[in-house]
Amino acid sequence: MTCLPETIEVNDRDLIACAQQGDRQAFSELVCRHQEKIVSLTYHMCGDLRLAEDAAQEAFVRVWQNLNSYKPQYAFRSWLYRIAANAALDSLRRERPTADLDSLSRADPGSGPEQSVEKNQRAAHVRRAIAHLSPALRVVLILREYQELTYQEIADALDIPVGTVMSRLNSARVQLRHELLVLLEEI
Amino acid sequence: MSPHVSELLAAYHDGELSLKRQQQVESHLQDCPACRAELEELEGLTSALKAYIVPDSTPPERFAAQVQLRLPHATLAPARSKGELPAHWALGVPLALIIAWTALQAALWVISATLSVDNLTGQRAAFFNSWIPAGGLLSINGNLLVINIILFAGTTILWSAWMALWLVWKEKEE
Repeated sequence: MTCLPETIEVNDRDLIACAQQGDRQAFSELVCRHQEKIVSLTYHMCGDLRLAEDAAQEAFVRVWQNLNSYKPQYAFRSWLYRIAANAALDSLRRERPTADLDSLSRADPGSGPEQSVEKNQRAAHVRRAIAHLSPALRVVLILREYQELTYQEIADALDIPVGTVMSRLNSARVQLRHELLVLLEEI
Repeated sequence: MSPHVSELLAAYHDGELSLKRQQQVESHLQDCPACRAELEELEGLTSALKAYIVPDSTPPERFAAQVQLRLPHATLAPARSKGELPAHWALGVPLALIIAWTALQAALWVISATLSVDNLTGQRAAFFNSWIPAGGLLSINGNLLVINIILFAGTTILWSAWMALWLVWKEKEE
């Protein structure tokens, strides 16, 4: 299958309506559209690409299975993020992440070997610090820092009050600042 | 100098403040090195987090094909929210109760109309004697009246309870 080019204006709502009627092609288009963001979320949650892709696929399977309970008055993205975050946490409960060699060995074409090693070390340092956060803090931080969701969108996705989003985000940042002290001093 | 704005800095950094509040923070930051340093720390953290990038993942088309392989073959289940019962239950259960009650009443009537205590002997006579009046169902007999009242009351209670539950579910759904 091929994903529709972005120039074809079929919005998510239409695709969801088709998918709810059992149209697998429309569902595949939805998957194509949201795959990158969802894999990014699950990767930052799991810290392991294989686990992250598996969790993202599992999330889309759950979306398909529950598509008819989705109500169009709510943002599809928020609903999807919630399912993906839960799938990532389930995946972490089942399996421990292994060192993600793909991300560590990937060389930046614009930098030399030393800079590349330094970048990888930084990435590994950040990954460890994020992994030390509790799941509740981690998911809020990731939705804000990597997915760039607003406080309200995070609240909707996780079904928690905006005040809780702010306090969890603050706690996550305090903990990260403590863990990444050396790294922050270098920046 | 205006009071420190520490509690607003995170929201300012995340672009979550109203224009008025934003201007208030910006005005304070111009004169306050401590709050500026705190904001720089937040910005530094966001910048440091960007080092943790997602490695090249499966291309979207291939990923979508893999998802397709994991989808169940059966078609989607009809829309049903948590706690809701299928629509046919709502009519089916009270209808079944009415049919059962009517059938029981009809059976009693037929028995009482076709049989009389006089043409029964032995154990059967003893059994029917206990609850069928010699004159048939329509002649009021104490036992029969009790049975009918119990059946009617039981059916009414069950049906009312069912309808009440159904209405609660319906309201929740709406």
